[in-house]
Amino acid sequence: MSTPAISIRNLTKEFAIPFKKERLVAVRNLSLEVPEGEVYGLLGPNGSGKSTAMKIVLGLVTPTEGTTAIFGCDSRRVESREQVGFLPENPYFYKFLTALETLLFFGKLCDLRGSALKDHAYSLLKTVGLENAADRRLGGFSKGMLQRIGMAQALIQNPRLLVLDEPTAGVDPAGSREIRDLILQFKSQGITVLLCSHLLGQVQEVCDRIGILHHGSLIKEGRIEDLITLENQTQLVLENASPALLAELEKRAREGGATVIGEGRPKADLEQFFLRVTQFNS
Amino acid sequence: MNPSSPVHSLFSTRRIAALAHNTLLELVRMRVFYFILLFALMVIGSSLFTVNFSFQEQFQVLKDVGLGAISIFSWLLGLLCTALLLPKDLEDRTLYTILAKPVPRFEYLLGKLLGVFLLIGIAVALMSLVFAGVLGLREQQVLAETARSTPPADLAQALASIRASAFQWNLLPGIALIYLKAVLCATFTLLISTFASSSVFTVLVSVVVYLVGHVQGIAREYWLGGGDASPLIKVLVALVALIFPDLQLFNIVDEIAVGTVVPMLLFWKITGFGVLYTLVYMLVAQVVFSTREL
Ligand SMILES: Nc1ncnc2c1ncn2[C@@H]1O[C@H](COP(=O)(O)OP(=O)(O)O)[C@@H](O)[C@H]1O
Ligand SMILES: [Mg+2]
Repeated sequence: MSTPAISIRNLTKEFAIPFKKERLVAVRNLSLEVPEGEVYGLLGPNGSGKSTAMKIVLGLVTPTEGTTAIFGCDSRRVESREQVGFLPENPYFYKFLTALETLLFFGKLCDLRGSALKDHAYSLLKTVGLENAADRRLGGFSKGMLQRIGMAQALIQNPRLLVLDEPTAGVDPAGSREIRDLILQFKSQGITVLLCSHLLGQVQEVCDRIGILHHGSLIKEGRIEDLITLENQTQLVLENASPALLAELEKRAREGGATVIGEGRPKADLEQFFLRVTQFNS
Repeated sequence: MNPSSPVHSLFSTRRIAALAHNTLLELVRMRVFYFILLFALMVIGSSLFTVNFSFQEQFQVLKDVGLGAISIFSWLLGLLCTALLLPKDLEDRTLYTILAKPVPRFEYLLGKLLGVFLLIGIAVALMSLVFAGVLGLREQQVLAETARSTPPADLAQALASIRASAFQWNLLPGIALIYLKAVLCATFTLLISTFASSSVFTVLVSVVVYLVGHVQGIAREYWLGGGDASPLIKVLVALVALIFPDLQLFNIVDEIAVGTVVPMLLFWKITGFGVLYTLVYMLVAQVVFSTREL
């Protein structure tokens, strides 16, 4: 088997609480692996240790116990960050830089330069839909635009792995759908993605596998279908069915040994409705 | 795809240059250079208020005010800009994004510091130009007046004595020492900010270090010179004298301003002292920062 994009082994992180004896355990004996090419979602309520785990993977925070590695390279080594792009939670960048300058700056930090860097920066701005804001300073950017420049910045050195901390937090539905589409696009290019979120609907649409963190411990892990499919139930959606037909179906079901446990009209979810209405009027 | 990562250069001048350039750009776009206008006003003002003095006095006041102001402004600029940088990057979490790239922490610190050094250098150069310009202008005026009012027999000597008391190239080592002092102070400010939690704390501590740096020479003479101090106090004073930079050394600039010829050896000794302390503070800052929890 090839080296996993991310491997976390028996990771524990404790924070000292000022003026108190006991310590806060942010991550508790966490072990997980993300194979190359997979989109992995880390779920959990606020304060469950998602961001802390990600920062340890990126070498920004030192673990109390355990090890983490990116493509087999220990996170404590600077080289491990050659292959990874990171979008922090609520990303802030230098407000005095324009979008283009920001990308050039981060590119130079990855030892890129010259016209190749510039061309790449422009193409990334196009990818994230900021080509018209290239020369605007980030000080005037909205939350969604910052999130997008954060994505572009993470991609500047063409990494094989993306680590995204709450990529859609605080972004409007249209914006978060674009971010979701971007993630799907990266996945089709073979980029491994580790993302964390508490917005379950979106995770469901992009992730191959999820893990659920609770108080720092991984309490569930697996493929989404396996986790949430109710194996012994089947859903049937009909259009223009008459009451007589429904009664007939129900009778047949009983004869066949099945129980009808629910009946109703499916509704488009609010997000879909919102998107349809706003797109129609724009 | 090749699973082994590309060769990572452990030390990249290009990355450091990018960080330094970015720091300088940040400070320039914060419009810190506007204070140069204030400086120009001060120097021009002091040259206007002294028109009734003798030319020696006029030039002396200009030199005192000019060099004194360059010294204070460059120190303050270095202190405030440095105190701002690290805590701001930490609070805004821009530091996360930078260190998530393959950037070693010491390169980050070095880049920030070099950006500030550049800023101080540009500021000192600009202020020196303003200062030399105003002094030169006064010199030309005084020369023209003297040429009109002095009998031809004494003229050559009078003009020579005016030139001798105006701008002299021996002021340059003084300006170099002013720059070095500001660089030294900026570096210990950075060191403080590596363990401080806010800009305000950093500024306060750095000002205290600055003051202690100016009086520690006196304390050292008093306690270590006399024999009756207890050993404990002696050790303490010696420790303070070692940790805090002896900024009194840089007061040699005042003597340069009044025209005293400073021996080259003394100049290089002070320079060596300043560079050594700057390097040591940088090293300690790096050690503290590399173990700091972000
Ligand atoms: N630098 C820190 N110092 C002290 N406690 C921290 C620090 N960072 C995070 N924590 C604590 O660790 C826990 C996990 O935080 P975090 O990883 O940010 O959670 P999540 O991202 O899942 O919302 C929280 O209780 C938080 O208060
Ligand atoms: Mg978080």
